[in-house]
Amino acid sequence: MKKKIFIVSFIFFILILLVFFYLLIIERNPTELPSNLLNKNVPKFEADSLIKKEKFISSEEFGNEIVLVNFFATWCRPCLEEHNYIKRFSNEEKIRIIGINYKDNKKAAINWLNKLGNPYSNIPIDKDGRVAIEWGVYGIPETFVINSNGIIKYKHIGPITEKVYKKINLLIEKIE
Amino acid sequence: MAPYLGNISLWLSLFFAISQFFVSKKNKKSKFITISVIGLLISSLISFFLLMYSHVVSDFSVLNVFQNSHTTKPLLYKVSGTWGNHEGSMLLWILVLTIFNYFIFKLYNEKNSIFISKTLETQAFITAGFILFTVLTSNPFEIISPTQADGLGFNPILQDPALAIHPPLLYIGYVGFSAAFSISIATLALENNEKIPWHSYMKPFVVAAWTFLTIGIAFGAVWAYYELGWGGWWFWDPVENASFMPWLLGTALLHSLITVEKKKSLQSWVLLLAILAFLLSVVGTFLVRSGILTSVHTFALDPSRGIYILAFTAILGGYSLILFGLKSKKYLNNSYFSFFSKEGSILINNILMVVVCSSVFLGTIYPLLVEAFTNNKISVGEPYYNTTVVPIMIPAILIMGIGPILSWGKEDKSKTFKKIFPSVLLTTIITLFIFLFYQSYSLIGVVGIVLAFWIISNNLLMIFKKNRNCSTSMIISHLGVGLLILGITGSSVWQIEKITKMQIKDQTKIEKYTIVFEKIDEIKGANYVALQGNFLVYDEEKNVITKLKPQNRFYPITNNFTTEASIHTNLLRDLYIVLGDGNLKDGWVVKFYYNPLVVWIWIGALVIFFGGIISINNNLNKLRTLT
Amino acid sequence: MITKKIFITFIFISQLLLSNSYSVEPDEILQNPKQELRARDISKNIRCMVCQNQSIDESNAPLAKDLRILIRNQIKDGKNDEEIYKFLTDRYGDFILLKPAFKLNTLALWLLPFIFVLVGIFIVFFHNKKSKKI
Repeated sequence: MKKKIFIVSFIFFILILLVFFYLLIIERNPTELPSNLLNKNVPKFEADSLIKKEKFISSEEFGNEIVLVNFFATWCRPCLEEHNYIKRFSNEEKIRIIGINYKDNKKAAINWLNKLGNPYSNIPIDKDGRVAIEWGVYGIPETFVINSNGIIKYKHIGPITEKVYKKINLLIEKIE
Repeated sequence: MAPYLGNISLWLSLFFAISQFFVSKKNKKSKFITISVIGLLISSLISFFLLMYSHVVSDFSVLNVFQNSHTTKPLLYKVSGTWGNHEGSMLLWILVLTIFNYFIFKLYNEKNSIFISKTLETQAFITAGFILFTVLTSNPFEIISPTQADGLGFNPILQDPALAIHPPLLYIGYVGFSAAFSISIATLALENNEKIPWHSYMKPFVVAAWTFLTIGIAFGAVWAYYELGWGGWWFWDPVENASFMPWLLGTALLHSLITVEKKKSLQSWVLLLAILAFLLSVVGTFLVRSGILTSVHTFALDPSRGIYILAFTAILGGYSLILFGLKSKKYLNNSYFSFFSKEGSILINNILMVVVCSSVFLGTIYPLLVEAFTNNKISVGEPYYNTTVVPIMIPAILIMGIGPILSWGKEDKSKTFKKIFPSVLLTTIITLFIFLFYQSYSLIGVVGIVLAFWIISNNLLMIFKKNRNCSTSMIISHLGVGLLILGITGSSVWQIEKITKMQIKDQTKIEKYTIVFEKIDEIKGANYVALQGNFLVYDEEKNVITKLKPQNRFYPITNNFTTEASIHTNLLRDLYIVLGDGNLKDGWVVKFYYNPLVVWIWIGALVIFFGGIISINNNLNKLRTLT
Repeated sequence: MITKKIFITFIFISQLLLSNSYSVEPDEILQNPKQELRARDISKNIRCMVCQNQSIDESNAPLAKDLRILIRNQIKDGKNDEEIYKFLTDRYGDFILLKPAFKLNTLALWLLPFIFVLVGIFIVFFHNKKSKKI
């Protein structure tokens, strides 16, 4: 009886070690959370646009083609670092990108984009952060890939790096 | 020069550890083993102090110093910065390992050379394992080139005296359990050791480890309380749990060793506990340093470190548990004892400690299990532990009151009532008095106060008893636990919080105090600038009790903002103020806490520590009479 | 390489802590004390995603403040606790709950401690019975 208990507990011990080993060798970021919105519809929202007179209405902007959504702000340093990649998505890959301007100052945002280049086809303003909450965003920058049916297929937290840039391009090719 | 010598010394210590492993197989106290033990100790001391020297002189050619230090850091924190990072803290681990290794070596006498040699062999394996880990994945003496002019600084909230001493105390705890582990392995692995008093060798190490782990955890908690600014001191953070689990098993081990000593029962259980306590320390090391989860405490992420420690855990755990499975039979002792006896209460204590430890372990690793199997992330926070751990502690504490006064064999139930009646009466009177006076009722509050005074009265009465069958150190430590429970209950149940916006010259009331916002100052510190609020606290008679000065600091080197709470403490309560956001025009957000009885948490921990020190002393004396 | 990753992560996170707000602020507090108590209780169970081990009730982070205000607005709109929790977990996942939900994947988590206690009691009686025989 005692021997059985002992063998079972020992097996548990080995199993737990194996789980830890597995978690260590796969590529994971312990601070990152999988998006709960994956494979769900884009959240419905309306907002003022930074660059257009008409309001930004989500039902009009999604569901037609593949779109990237990028949450950004002028006060966010990593956003500055990844801006070139966002521009490359727009210029080289010809993907439509929507930039959601998070808790920012209108004038500063316009100046920022004028200086660095504007890769966004439209820019809804998220003044109080409510839109970000709808998207399950908890820090910026965050970038989402939306397919032509308006379904969220991928989310990246943090600035786009070379690796992530390639990954997203591959993903977009796959979805098409 | 220093880092090169330090590195050489570190490799030298690895050499000595490996040589100790092989030489100890000769089973006698030879010259070679003496050289290995002393060489190990000295080389590890040298490498530790050379790293400290590099920090103190701000030698930024050393990567470790560059990453964690800055010329403007005060001297005390340059010193403690030596172990305030992953690589440096490994040197501290190793140093404490070599010191305990030396203490094991000192146990040699004519009769036990085979036993002590086996113990030293195991200890050498553990030490070599940690040194190898350090030189392969975490060498603090790595050089960077070109040398930078200044360092990356240090996290300002870690620049604190309590936090400076927290790691050394904790490591004495973790490492002390390694000695108990090695003794357990030697006991199991060797035949013909009926005459070896292995439990007498184990006890001083266990008491020392447990005592320092207790005070180490307490310093961490007291730092969290006054530094982090929300009046809390324990968050069930995975790394905190990693220190709590060995503490729980250590408590169990401490008590069951007494049973082994007096009654020769529970021997195989004690041997297993000694193995598990240290294994949990190593698993704790794994959780903190592997990057498998994040917490305020974890060091930088590096999977290769994790894989090494995991492999090391597997080897240590696999070997020790299989050895236990095969060899523990001969220590099984099926003597009967009633549960209504001292042994019985110790066994119940042990079971409860293991149940709590299992629940804490489950809560800590469960998110990892869910992630591995479902690719989903969940979190297990304070509410879980409050639901599962706290209720189990209640019977444990009740038994703690009554256990010491029971006799060793079967307790005569007719006499028990007479024995506990005074403390039951005292507890009831004090509890009623408190609730009539304060007129605040809450179930958990009542339970907490009853438990606290149950322990306090039992132990106070025992001090005055003439012939007691328990030690002074036990009475003191148990008394400390009672005070600790008092503090925990008061500060959790009856905490009052007030958040309000104040302009200069405004006043507010909390409990019976009136607090006036006098002015805002700009303060310049050694490596920070701060905005300081000045608050005058008046009591009911309009006398000034104190001036509280909370600060909001900015450290330009690391670009950190911190808040420094201002606290006024007395035996009955803490008055705690945090300054929030604001400006001269709109006023400031100010947060007030009235924390009853908080100071008793720290006093209780100190009293427990004091009792532990007396016990270490007693156990060492007992050991001397043996050898 | 790894240091760069850590550096970027640090900057990323520190952006969020840039604006200083100090947990529940006076202007957030609801007029109705019962509603305010509900808001505090719910907030204490919601993890601050950008902090280490804090609830949004305690945290200084701007996101925590946004969520506190959102919860209070939903309470004022008449939503009950389940609806508010569902709103948050729909967007942030179960991770945002400090008290793990009682679901299929947390069954073991909630039941095992209870089973541990039962096993403990069982061992106690089993040992007693066995050694009484001897």
